[in-house]
Amino acid sequence: MRIATAKQTYLADEALFDTRTQHVWLALLAASLVLFPFFANAYWLYLACLVAINIASATGLNILTGYTGLVSLGQAAFMGLGAYTVAVMELHLGTPVLLNLLAGGIVAMLGGLLVGIPSLRVKGLYLAISTIAASFIAHFIFANWQFTGGTSGLQVPPARVLGMDLDTSFKIYWLIVPVTVLMVLGAANLFRTRIGRAFIAIRDRDISAEVLGIRLLRYKLLSFGLSSFYAGVAGGLWAYFFRVVTPESFPLIMSIFFLAAIIVGGMGSILGSILGAIFMTMVPEFLKLVVGWLPVGGDALRLISPVRTIVFGLLIVGFLIFEPHGLAEIWRRVRRFFHLWPFRT
Amino acid sequence: MDWLFLLEVSLAGLGSGGLYALAALVIVYKATRVVNIAIGEFLMLGAYVFYAFATGMAWPIWLAIVGAVVVSGALGAVVERLTIRPMLGESPISVFMITVGLASILVGAVELIWTADQRRLPEFMPRAPVMVGEAFVAPKVFYGFWVAVVLALLVLVVFRYWRGGVALRATASDQGAAYAMGINVPRVFSLAWVTAGAIAAVSGVIVGAIGGISSSMGVFGLSVLVVVIVGGLDSVAGALVGGIFIGLLEAWAGAYLGGEYKLLATFVVLVVVLMARPYGLFGTREIERL
Amino acid sequence: MKRIRIGSGLSRLLAPLGLAAALAAAPAAQAAEDLVLGGSIPLSGVFAFAGQGIHAGITDYVKIINDQGGIKGRKLRYVPEDTAYKVDASVAAFKKITSQNKVNFYYGDSTGFSKTINAELNRTGDILMTGASFATELNDPAKYPAQFMLGPDYTEMFGILLRYIAKEQPGAKVAFVYSDTEFGRDPIASSRAVAEKLGLKVATEIMTPPGSVDVSTEVIKLRRADPDFTIFHGYVLAPIPEFVGQGKRMGLKTRYMGTFWTMDNSTVMQMGEDAEGFMGVMPYRYYYDQAADAPMLKKIREMRPQYQSTGYMQGFLAAMLFSEVAKRTLDAGKDLTAANMKAALDGIKDFDTGGLIGVPITIKGNSIPVGRIYRADVKQKQMVPASDWIVLK
Repeated sequence: MRIATAKQTYLADEALFDTRTQHVWLALLAASLVLFPFFANAYWLYLACLVAINIASATGLNILTGYTGLVSLGQAAFMGLGAYTVAVMELHLGTPVLLNLLAGGIVAMLGGLLVGIPSLRVKGLYLAISTIAASFIAHFIFANWQFTGGTSGLQVPPARVLGMDLDTSFKIYWLIVPVTVLMVLGAANLFRTRIGRAFIAIRDRDISAEVLGIRLLRYKLLSFGLSSFYAGVAGGLWAYFFRVVTPESFPLIMSIFFLAAIIVGGMGSILGSILGAIFMTMVPEFLKLVVGWLPVGGDALRLISPVRTIVFGLLIVGFLIFEPHGLAEIWRRVRRFFHLWPFRT
Repeated sequence: MDWLFLLEVSLAGLGSGGLYALAALVIVYKATRVVNIAIGEFLMLGAYVFYAFATGMAWPIWLAIVGAVVVSGALGAVVERLTIRPMLGESPISVFMITVGLASILVGAVELIWTADQRRLPEFMPRAPVMVGEAFVAPKVFYGFWVAVVLALLVLVVFRYWRGGVALRATASDQGAAYAMGINVPRVFSLAWVTAGAIAAVSGVIVGAIGGISSSMGVFGLSVLVVVIVGGLDSVAGALVGGIFIGLLEAWAGAYLGGEYKLLATFVVLVVVLMARPYGLFGTREIERL
Repeated sequence: MKRIRIGSGLSRLLAPLGLAAALAAAPAAQAAEDLVLGGSIPLSGVFAFAGQGIHAGITDYVKIINDQGGIKGRKLRYVPEDTAYKVDASVAAFKKITSQNKVNFYYGDSTGFSKTINAELNRTGDILMTGASFATELNDPAKYPAQFMLGPDYTEMFGILLRYIAKEQPGAKVAFVYSDTEFGRDPIASSRAVAEKLGLKVATEIMTPPGSVDVSTEVIKLRRADPDFTIFHGYVLAPIPEFVGQGKRMGLKTRYMGTFWTMDNSTVMQMGEDAEGFMGVMPYRYYYDQAADAPMLKKIREMRPQYQSTGYMQGFLAAMLFSEVAKRTLDAGKDLTAANMKAALDGIKDFDTGGLIGVPITIKGNSIPVGRIYRADVKQKQMVPASDWIVLK
């Protein structure tokens, strides 16, 4: 049971991680993140990097959809904006990696602001569908503008940091994971500020929020901008990781993937984005493992892909019906049990 | 200005617009306030079931169509009972996401049973080219258009005059009051989904007859969604007008700008219409209350 | 009451992850002697019919080679993964297979994948790769030194068709109908140039959105252009039957042609009567070809009594060429690095494929620029040859 958590200063009270237990576990997590690449083989490193990129993007989407209540199916398009910006800058300008990532985030943010402009007039589902429109318009631009390489896309040279090329999963892990950790911490901190609280107010009842003095258009645009900034940086990391960016790399199904990730993980919680991204990225791998164990032989290989699609859909439907607050809620329930033990409530 | 070309292209656009309108018939939204993004996948399933009956089991065409309609209607009822009913009272976004998940499940199921290969449906429509004056119209599109028009008119009439149709409209405008009036609201919901499934099956068969069937047929649903939004989510007339409008637009964009501009034009128009009339051309304005 | 400090933290997260990691990360025990052929194969998804064929073709040839004692006593092992024709799934499969095996040869399922993985291939330098793609861009030994393709590239295919047209009907009008994908757009610009050089007029270029259902507008455009020949590229089946069907009913006099992936017998025959006269270029013989100098085809027919697609032939040829390269490299006493293997591949001149291809082949650049024009004969339900074997310079 959690005891001895009285605080004596406001600063201590507002801290993100306020108990010693949390500090200890955080230190362990940090240590395991640092040690992981030395013990994992290429495949697991690859998965870790992919998971980190997905966590970054899912966190961004959660800011927009989970905390502000604006459903967006355009996350992949903003990632594409970031990825193409990074690719173009790396190819034509050769600027340093962090600058490219920042620029990718900013270009995606501008795109997000543009898409967010209708959000005052257009609400709910209509907004979601207009973000689908944004997705298609972005795809069209990528595929038909010669500057972005047309349908063949762009090949990105590996990121150069301190004179070293980040061309293996091991090396690029050290770029992706710290950036992701920073972004996740940033998002967690966002919701201690008045901006974060304004977002939550807008989600709960935007008319009331306006009555309370929260300028709707400004905060909605801010939410779009922040969420697409995250998507842009994630897209930039994606570009450095896969090293080829094509218009087919960011389809609508990817946006649906991220939306599913935050639904499964838990909308409106940072932990939810992390858990959801990890879960949704690992499920296909886990499925492959399970099918590999089954004594069905070669024909099983053919079944993996449709089964994966079905499982994806079932996860979305299942979590929405049975656990609408997602994995984060399951996590909290388990934690509460141990915090309150031996009491029940 | 090649008028004949314009006419031919416009006729083709009208034809496909009719198809969109058919599929967009907003029964589901009208009664249950659910936007079903899986409509393309329902279409696909209807077409595949028809394929299974007509080719796999060698039933006569008319029987296969009836079979597809029945199966699709049953699927609509099952879906409604299992996934939509438990979500009554939840936010529309959640239900929307359920239909997204549903779309995935349907695609996976089709791929599992029939694989992702493209297939062709058996020919059952008259194949002689149809000439409107000097303009040529593809026969399948022509007959598909008339089927769509007939069905749409039927639906309009049903909504206005049949008791079930009135019940549907009543449930849509105020569930509580509908309950109070003794309307069996759950049954109305089921009816709405069953009918939507049945009509989707017919559209699926027509669309499949034109372009073949494959597990990625569902992308047709996106254009249907645009039609529904542009026309107004709860207006049948809006669906018809919207369908024809979008059909023409896509045909002109495809003919004069190039094939890659079709979807772009559709979505740009969507954004413009939403900015001007956020609830669609014919939709009713939602009044939010605190 | 005892104070219990059960983890409020991430032990619950790390434990199952750790367990899964331990279970799956153990690399498969393998004999250091085996030669490994890895594959990102589209066993499901839109390319599944081809993927199943490719998979069967590679498996069969690997069996044949191993039955003969392997390559210099070393067995060839085939390790496939399903990708559903998606690039990131292909990349993931590549990373998984290469982290669990010492891979010498790789088969990639798409143009996108071949381009993506190129940097990684060049970095590791010990894998020779081929794949399903015949993209013009890949036919560049300087940019893609560790890759090759199993036939002519798409522009070369167009070239073969255009030369045939120029001979049949000099100055004819041609139309290109292609899909809005990387696969589809690849050869169009260069083929336009080839057509103009041969004195043919490109009447129109029609691009269809991928997955489009209704092509009536495009058919109307085709009718306006009224070409003598129409070449399809970038499709497997749809929307070709619509074009051909509507075109014939409209009275269009154009003849229809296609490139490799539209030329499988089973997909063409799905067009029914409209398939009559459909032509195209294919570098391989068909399964049912009874040519006298085709012992491999006889063997394939013994192993597989039902029709095998063109994808099967491609997979079979891939495994055959990989085995030949391995043999030559090991014979020369060299290590199996990408550079050595590519050099051995370049040294292949007048190689007899056992009748899979009708003439002995030589690798030029990254491609095998050889092919034959076939025509659909609906009465026999077969694609029959309409020209001799053409070898491009």
